[in-house]
Amino acid sequence: MTTPTPSHLLALLALLMALAASACAPSTSTAAVSRGLETQPDGWRGLPLDVERTMPDVTLLDTDDRPVELAARTAGSPTLLFFGYTSCPDICPVHLSAIASAMRDAGVSTSDLDVVFVSVDPERDTPERIEEWLSYFDRGFVGLHEDLEVVEVALAALDLPGPIVEGPDPRGEGDLIGHPAQVIGFDAEGNARRVWPFGARRADWISDLPLIVEQWS
Amino acid sequence: MNVAWWCSSTGQVWAWRYTPFLGVWVLAGGLIGGYVLAHRRTGHDLDPILTRRFVLGVLAVVVVSEWPIGALGAGYLASVGMLRYLTYTFVAAPLLVASLPGWMVRRAAPTDTRRGRALAFATAWPVALLAFNSVMFGTHLPPIVDGLKVYQAGSFALDLLWLGAAVLWWWPAVRPDDEPGTIREPIRAFYLFASSVLMFVPAAFLTFAPLPLYGLYELAPPLWLGFDPTSDQQTAGIMMNVGGGLVLWAVITALFFRWATSEQAADASTKRARDDRVLARIEAMATDAGADDDDAPDPPVHATPI
Repeated sequence: MTTPTPSHLLALLALLMALAASACAPSTSTAAVSRGLETQPDGWRGLPLDVERTMPDVTLLDTDDRPVELAARTAGSPTLLFFGYTSCPDICPVHLSAIASAMRDAGVSTSDLDVVFVSVDPERDTPERIEEWLSYFDRGFVGLHEDLEVVEVALAALDLPGPIVEGPDPRGEGDLIGHPAQVIGFDAEGNARRVWPFGARRADWISDLPLIVEQWS
Repeated sequence: MNVAWWCSSTGQVWAWRYTPFLGVWVLAGGLIGGYVLAHRRTGHDLDPILTRRFVLGVLAVVVVSEWPIGALGAGYLASVGMLRYLTYTFVAAPLLVASLPGWMVRRAAPTDTRRGRALAFATAWPVALLAFNSVMFGTHLPPIVDGLKVYQAGSFALDLLWLGAAVLWWWPAVRPDDEPGTIREPIRAFYLFASSVLMFVPAAFLTFAPLPLYGLYELAPPLWLGFDPTSDQQTAGIMMNVGGGLVLWAVITALFFRWATSEQAADASTKRARDDRVLARIEAMATDAGADDDDAPDPPVHATPI
């Protein structure tokens, strides 16, 4: 019998590991989203909405705790609306960071369109915390909050599910909260036009932001 | 405790909680076990210097493949991913190549066998240069990174490619001079220089790209706010420039000085030998002249320039 050489052992080891690896399931949703959004036939990256929805007519509070009528506040300019929470470890900072960065690159500012963040975590998201958190992205972003019942009315008006507690945050920062992962785009008349699901990259936003300003204002 | 087979992107929230990667330890154990076993079976003693190199090489692989560097580099930060690549390429691979005793290489791939010929072909410097740079360019292309790193098998394949290509690349430059296929100066300096220049290409793309190239890192849960994917990518590009460029140039410079010193020593030795020959001739002439003194008057003396 042939004595195994180091190369035999290495080849066997590599084979075993390759077999073990091939038995592993693909890991999470990262595989599905890392390529970004595909360009739609009309040239946009954001997905068109096939149902008619308008900006929810609810009154929320800004970071100075002043009441804000959402529909009235955003009328007259295109708006990107996102529901999230400041302790959110992934989707929320990724979305807002991408939008803020793309706005700088595309030469679009919050005077051209509103970016509105509505908290789904009234317990932890104090006005100060929302303001501080949004300042990491763009000080011009609008942060709003209210009791969960009011926020749920806004979500329901857009056919979006309410937030759910998903379990403890592995970072030890309370609970993770499940919430809608898409950014919704409204035109200046308050009509919902498109959504950008999680997976929208800076390049997608850089492509769409000028279209938003040009076509929805 | 959560155990994973190999580090890959998971898309999960990053937490500073130890997650061992089983495959890393299996690989390290297999490599070290194989090395010791090969010595035992053939009756060779472990050379302390070579063994130290081997263990350090394996240790380098373990450190950058295990948690946290492995996980961070595979799925969260491009800069840490680059640290992994550079460590595989510039630390682990040369140490592993330089740790293999000649008898082990000859035994694993005897010169006149198919394996031996395959090794000789793969480590011939033009082939190794091409293979290394193809892997370097290919494995930094966004579709490859985004397509492979999200699977454990894909991530493992990338790591193996990095290490394998780097082993081939270092082989002709690091193996002892008396082994076939080993290159010497000035080809060795050109060989390393060529790769250092080519490495600037992907490094420049990473450093100067205005947008994140890899969706994997762009959409990964951020470790902290304020360090955006573009900054992370630029850091990776700078690391590749420094690691791939400056470190290689330092190696080239060191090799050049070593070569220059040995050339100087060779020149000095040649000159000494020539001087010895001239002195011997003078002594012989002087001896002849002494013998002639008995029979004839002294000839006129004239100096011969040496």
